[in-house]
Amino acid sequence: MAVTREDRTLGERVRANPRPALFWLAGVVVLFALEFGAFMNAIMSTLPWAAVGGALPGTSIWAGLAGVGDTLASLPTLLSRDLVPNQGYYVPGEGWEQTFLGLEPAVAWGLRVTLIYVYAFVFFGWLANGYFVFRRHYRYAAWTPYDDMLDHLRDHRWGQFGFVIVFGFVVMAVFAPALGPTTVAQNIADPYSHEIQYYDQEAQEVSTALVGDANRAATSKGSADRNVGPLSYDSYDRYHPFGTLPSGKDLFTFMMAGARVSLFIGLLYISLASGVAILLALLTAYYKGLLDLVVVVTGDSVQALPQLLVLILLSFVLSDTWLADIYNGGLLLALIFAVTGWPYLWRAVRGPALQISEEEWIDAAKSFGQTPWTTMQKHMLPYVVGYLLIYASLSLGGAIIGVAGLSFLGLGVNPPTPEWGRAVSAGQPYVATASWHISLLPGIMVVLIVTAFNALGDGIRDAIDPQSEGGSGSEVATAGGSGA
Amino acid sequence: MTRWRYFGRRLVLSIPILIFGTTATFWILRMGPIDPAAAIIGPDGDQQAYQRIRDQLGLDEPLWQQYIDFMTGLFTGNLGQSWVLNPGTDAGVMIAQYAPRTIWLGFWSVLIALFIGIPLGFYAGLNSNSWSDYVASFGGIVWRAMPNFWLAVILVSLLSQSQQLFGFNWQGWLVQTDIVTPPSLSNLQNPTNLLAAIKATLPAAVVLGSSSMGNEMRIGRTAVLETINSNYVEAAKAKGVPGRTLVWKHVFRNALVPLVPIITGEAFLLIGGSVLVETVFAINGLGYLFFQATINGDLPLVGSLMFIFILLVVGLNIVQDLLYTLIDPRVGYEGGGA
Repeated sequence: MAVTREDRTLGERVRANPRPALFWLAGVVVLFALEFGAFMNAIMSTLPWAAVGGALPGTSIWAGLAGVGDTLASLPTLLSRDLVPNQGYYVPGEGWEQTFLGLEPAVAWGLRVTLIYVYAFVFFGWLANGYFVFRRHYRYAAWTPYDDMLDHLRDHRWGQFGFVIVFGFVVMAVFAPALGPTTVAQNIADPYSHEIQYYDQEAQEVSTALVGDANRAATSKGSADRNVGPLSYDSYDRYHPFGTLPSGKDLFTFMMAGARVSLFIGLLYISLASGVAILLALLTAYYKGLLDLVVVVTGDSVQALPQLLVLILLSFVLSDTWLADIYNGGLLLALIFAVTGWPYLWRAVRGPALQISEEEWIDAAKSFGQTPWTTMQKHMLPYVVGYLLIYASLSLGGAIIGVAGLSFLGLGVNPPTPEWGRAVSAGQPYVATASWHISLLPGIMVVLIVTAFNALGDGIRDAIDPQSEGGSGSEVATAGGSGA
Repeated sequence: MTRWRYFGRRLVLSIPILIFGTTATFWILRMGPIDPAAAIIGPDGDQQAYQRIRDQLGLDEPLWQQYIDFMTGLFTGNLGQSWVLNPGTDAGVMIAQYAPRTIWLGFWSVLIALFIGIPLGFYAGLNSNSWSDYVASFGGIVWRAMPNFWLAVILVSLLSQSQQLFGFNWQGWLVQTDIVTPPSLSNLQNPTNLLAAIKATLPAAVVLGSSSMGNEMRIGRTAVLETINSNYVEAAKAKGVPGRTLVWKHVFRNALVPLVPIITGEAFLLIGGSVLVETVFAINGLGYLFFQATINGDLPLVGSLMFIFILLVVGLNIVQDLLYTLIDPRVGYEGGGA
């Protein structure tokens, strides 16, 4: 919101009355400091810094910096499993060992999950509060259209429900490593290279076992004696909030990591497709004529190819290329989704963009000598972005279903990487048995999250355009369970 | 622009779309990183057979020649043949073999969605903001968000264990049928066979129609709400038109207009969704054929199937425009609207 008075910039306004801004900033710093180690860890682990440093001149400086980065990355953080460990064992007569404060693993894990969610919601609340501080103390305009939109959202319970669930899902993806009762590396990817300690009932002493062996004793295969259901412990005293997979791996850890993969693919797809959609919508609405026709035909042609079938075909055809190895195939999937999905988003914003292009102020801007690019950016874009948000929210739900559907078929994200559809597929033979949780819980999560994305889309629509009340055409693109 | 000129324009536009879509398929299959001949022959085929396949597919010819052959072949009805799934069989023959089950499945899923979704939506709209409306609307929203493959998995398990779970035997109900099996479509004049075929398709059809059913319900509800508050309904009410006539003549007919794209849109969902649903229910239809052809590397067959699907989609688009042109007199009067 670039509202600046001619004589005073935002910086000057803040300097004139620094107290509220400083107070808010201090809150952000405190909240950020609690997780600083995790943040640095994320930075240090996403890029191969050693290789980057080696390529730059002055190796020793960079090596020193990398050392500092690693140290910072290993700083203790509030929400890590090191601070609130939940893996331990029960020694009869002495209670739980190695868990947080000697609590039961379930309680320790629950505490960590609660902490993470409280932290996330407080952080978000504080950031949102920042906007209100800005509005109250520093904004030049007394009123902007965004105020009305926020007011509409304030009474929109359905949209708020959607937002809370979607936010919970995002937190799930961001904090995936800390949320699971165990880690992907230890439990899922490489169980035979990790050990856990447990209390051996027969020898009456604490001994160690390979995680892989422990997993084999914790399988869920339908019968009552071969099942570790939700909210239960296995014979190695490990806690499984969602039970285990047929292979004995922890379903909750699997789900959290899968959330990260789904969200990454969904967000990348939406940002790419939205970028293309909005650019084309602005260009076609501004220039109309032949350009519009060409884009219409191209969009229709892409839509004439059934999306799910193209996804299946392309993920098979490209499965052996280098593209399919980046982020375990996630990048490739996101790209295919974007290539096949942009016409849906473009269709959604084309109408509003055309409508705006007919307005008088666009004519005025043209005759005023403003360049086409500035006109599009300043006078058309703000009106179109809202509509894009609605459909982006709906398409994200669809992408999550699509990714799950592909991995259900055994395509898409490469196998050891957790993906929700694969859990549904693994649990398929056990739905009506004691191990019902394997298929049912991931499915319920998908339903909940897709519903939430739809609700959020409804909320945004009602906030931007309260008169529409679900106008007929706009609901067509709502994410359905078709898997396409 | 008159209505029929609008329709004619749409008809002309569908030609480049058809060509574009087919070209994209060619591009993926022939210019992609996979050598079709290598995919057909598998990892341990001999060099001679490999060369023979390359010759027959014309892979050593210049690319533009291949492209022209590919396009003219498809557009003149020569769909090529299957190489892996059923070597030597014409793709057209295979499609004719697999299509009836998909059409049967699609027919019932459209029908079920229509006959449950629309009445439920209209009912919710006519009784808006009552408890039954909330239950129906919320149910529709959740029902629509369910992934097809998941719903199919759950339904298969529940039905196969229906005796133990609910004390009701689905397999033996009315006629003996299995759940995870293709419906037998032979001899449908016999009522027992017909009933068995319908019953065997029913679970898959419900799953395939699920998301459309939710959509139809929701749109039906808003459409009724919109028409009910419109001036002409008010006028009819003031004139003293009895309730039943009002609903049927003035509300129902006009509320159908926004449902047209949903109903044709449903057909698109069927094409994609059929892959997942047919895989779970083991119905060997076109979706199943497409999936098998893809993962087995039968790329020529995949190309032909894709062409059929594109034809279907473009055809459906034309039907949709025709319906619009017939139902809604406002079409074409808003200018542009390509």
